[in-house]
Parts: sequence; structure tokens; C-alpha cells
Amino acid sequence: MAETAYFAHSLQTWLGGGPLWIWGAVSAVVVIFGLALPFGGLATYAERKIAADIQDRVGPNRVGPFGILQFLADAVKMLAKEDFIPRGGDHFLFNIAPVFVVVGACATFAVLPLSKYLLGADLNIGVLYVLAISTLVSPGLLLGSWASENKWSLLGGLRAAAQIVSYEIPVALCILPIILISGTLQIGTIVELQGWNLALEGAKSPHFWNLFHNPFTLVSGFILFIAGLAETNRIPFDLPEAESELVSGFNTEFSGMRFGLFALGEFCEVFVMCAMVTALYLGGWHIPFLDIESFGVTLPTLLVALIQLTMFMIKTLLLVFVVMWLRWTLPRLRVDQLMSLCWKGLVPICLFNVLGTAVWLWVFHGRSLAQLIFQGGGH
Amino acid sequence: MSSGSQAILFAFQLMTLMSAVLVAFHPNILYASVALLFTFLGVACMFIFIGADFLAGAQVIVYVGGITILILFAIMLTQWMYKATLRDVRTKILLPVVACGLLVTPILLKTTRLIADLGPLGTAETMTAFSFSPKTQVIGQALLTSYVLPFEAVTILLLGALVGAVWLARPQ
Repeated sequence: MAETAYFAHSLQTWLGGGPLWIWGAVSAVVVIFGLALPFGGLATYAERKIAADIQDRVGPNRVGPFGILQFLADAVKMLAKEDFIPRGGDHFLFNIAPVFVVVGACATFAVLPLSKYLLGADLNIGVLYVLAISTLVSPGLLLGSWASENKWSLLGGLRAAAQIVSYEIPVALCILPIILISGTLQIGTIVELQGWNLALEGAKSPHFWNLFHNPFTLVSGFILFIAGLAETNRIPFDLPEAESELVSGFNTEFSGMRFGLFALGEFCEVFVMCAMVTALYLGGWHIPFLDIESFGVTLPTLLVALIQLTMFMIKTLLLVFVVMWLRWTLPRLRVDQLMSLCWKGLVPICLFNVLGTAVWLWVFHGRSLAQLIFQGGGH
Repeated sequence: MSSGSQAILFAFQLMTLMSAVLVAFHPNILYASVALLFTFLGVACMFIFIGADFLAGAQVIVYVGGITILILFAIMLTQWMYKATLRDVRTKILLPVVACGLLVTPILLKTTRLIADLGPLGTAETMTAFSFSPKTQVIGQALLTSYVLPFEAVTILLLGALVGAVWLARPQ
């Protein structure tokens, strides 16, 4: 899409010249320090507060109003802790492992469609990029667990890698129907096509949220969320850090800021996973049943960007809340249940969904359920 | 290409070459496989610089997310492997050098001739336009029209491999 502005390009024009790659680096720093770090910090606070509410406790309430500054205190505590590498452990791999996890989680922020005007980069291969760069997390977990020279860690790391590699397949298969519908891998375009402007005729008119495009995408949207939970090692799929069996799994031997980086990586992954579900299935920045850009009055770009950002964040954070809620609702799966759920449950359903979506698109000439209802089946 | 992006490209090329050397000569097999991961990443970055973004994504998914993880798994599950130091590279040099020379020289000659036939790469504007043009669609259409037979042959091969793996791993 021509009208979407890339961070780096906007920075270059606002701040007057300079080489683009410097602004690219600057925008990466802005994204990490302005989005990933605050989200990671506030997510730990939210997680503890929600857990406390569900278990009828108070939760953090000492630092700042309602304990909201707890995450800053935790960060200071982590920085002040002893930086410990176990004897016999592998120093180089132990140091590099958290970096893999954080890079894999934070690099995906570059393509998150926060708003039509707030995209790091609307890559041609946007969805593929997210799938590709997030695979960097699993070598990080595997190497970190091996370098700890601890059998619980190694078991956790092997479980984590096996789980991530297996659940990548249902995730990819759940994204395929969306690519079939949109005909592109560009996340900006995929979100744009989910607007509410059904008066528009033609194949590329908005067709409302992909979740309600046809019955098959309704199923695959939920499966994407489930498989995403497994990929981010959240309960009920938190076998890699199962505390009743493996002490704390792959991060047992990590202390101080290295442990903090693992935790930050995990929360960023959760955010990215929820943001991807939002962007691909829940209409991204669009407000339901409303098209703010064909309103009659033209709103200023900044206002539109802010409204879209708010909408995107509401949807994403609601999903993050569901992730935290599930943690205190569902028991953990066993390893064999985890694998049979993936290979005997999710993968066949996903394959059926891909086929079903293709048949739907062929039968109804690419029209969605909403288009069939509101525009009629005729041409 | 601006000098800035050329410097970044050079850094990636250096990373690819250095880690490839490490893969070949590091005595610890675990470190060698970690270096292999960086080689794959460097190759993916070079794909991006020539505008082959889909190829770069596929490279990272298949090689970093798949092959490297499998290699790491195999090493970690075989207990003697990561304690062993492999140091017998110096004793045999002549045969590998001759074999590699015979393999690599025709490829190098062929690619240099191909690159010479292509001519100059074009201006910065055409290169930028090319790198932002969608290529996934072109690849997909080529795979399902001109190259449909090799594509289907590969799918049957992969299906056979999958069935074979399940058959090998079945409970006895």
C-alpha cells in the first residue's frame, strides 16, 4: 500500500535528511524502548494483579498507587542481583541464549500494524517475516538450557524446542486461509481488507473481519490462538517450565537480568501472538461496523492514527487478558497429550480449514459471509 | 545502493564467511552448529539485499527454524557427541581440497558467466523498486504453471519421507 508511512521514512522526512539506515536503527530503538520494554514490564504487573484477583488475593500493592510501579522495582532488583553462571556451564552459549530469545521476540514488532499510519515496515512478506524471525526463539531456549549444565534445564529446553517446532505447523496452516482470502502476505493490506464498507463493490472491497469470513476461518482463528499459546509456552502448554516437574525448566539456572530477558522475551511473544491474531482475524485497527475514513468528514491523520492505535491495543490487550485468565483456569497438559493434540487434533482440522476456505472462495467468487448477506448473492 | 547499506551488506557477508569457516574448523560440534545458524542467517540477509525477500523468509524458516534445531537436538540427545573434540582435520588435507576444487570450480565458472551475461544491476531507483515489488505471487504462479511437474514430484517425495518417518517411529 502506497499511503502507509514507514517509521524510518517518516523520521527521515520530519527530522530532515540523513541516511535511511540510521533512522531505521533509531526506529528499532524507539519500538523496543517505547513498546516492547514497557509492555513487558506492565505485563508482569498485570499478570500478578489478575492472578491475585482470580485467587482472591491482593497482589502487589506497596510500590506506587495500586502497586503499579512494582515492575520498576523488580527491574532494579534484577539489575542488582548476582550475575551467576553455573560451574561447568558453557559461558559463551549461556550469555548468547537470552539474546536470541529477545531478538526473536522484539524483531517481530517491526511489522505489527498498530495503525494504518504507524507501521514499522509493511513488508511484502510480512506474515512470513513474523513466522521466520520468531523461529530464532527456539535455538535460544535450546542453547540456554544446554549451557546451564543442569538436567532439568536441558529437559525443559528440549521440550520447548520440540513444542515450538511442532506447533509452528498449525500456526502456519491457520495463517494460510487468510493469505488465500487476501491474496497477499502484506499485513497492512490484510488488515485493510477487513474494514466495514460493504457498499463498495468489487473483489477487493472490504469484507469485514476474517474471523467471520466463512465458517472455516471461524474455526482456524480459534486454532491460531490455541497454537499461539503453545508456541509462547503459556499455560496450559507451559511444559518447558513445568515448575512441579522441572524446577523452572530452561531458565532454572538464569539469574538477574538474564532471567529478566527470558521473561521479557516471553511477554513480548505473547503480545506479538495476540497482535497477530488481532491483525489477521479480528480486523486489526478497524472499529466494528464503522469505517472512520469514509465518514463524510476527513479527520486529521494523527487523530485517525490514534483512534486506530487505541482500537488495535484494545483488541490485543483483551486477548492478552484471556491468555492470563487461562493460566489460572486450565491445568497443564502432559507431553504425550501435547503432541497428540497438535498432530492428531489441530493439524488435520487446519488442513480441512485450508481446503474448506479454498472451496468457499471458489464457490462464492471470493465473497465473505457479510458480503453475501448485505450485498446479496448476485453480481 | 548507498554506502550505508553497502557497509551493512559487507558486515553480513563477513559474518557469513567467518561463521562458515568456524563451521568447518571448530573442534566442538555444538559450536560448529551454532556457527552454522549464523551462516544461514547471513545468507538470508544477503537474499534480502538482492531483493529476494520470500527466499530470505523461507531460508530462515527452513534452515534456522528447522534444520539447525534438528542438528542441535541430535547433538544434545547423543551424549558423547558434545563432549568429543574433533581434531583430525589437519591430517587429511590433499583429498578434500582436490575433491572440493573439482566440485566448486565448475559452479564458480558457471555463476561468473551467468553474472556476466546479466550485465549491470541497474540504478538505485530500479533496484529499490524491484526490492519492494511483490515476488511471492510470481513465484507461486511459476510453481503452479511452468514448474508444476517438478513441484508435484517434490511433494510426492516429501510425502514419502513423511510416511517413512512415521513408519520408522511407530510403536513396535
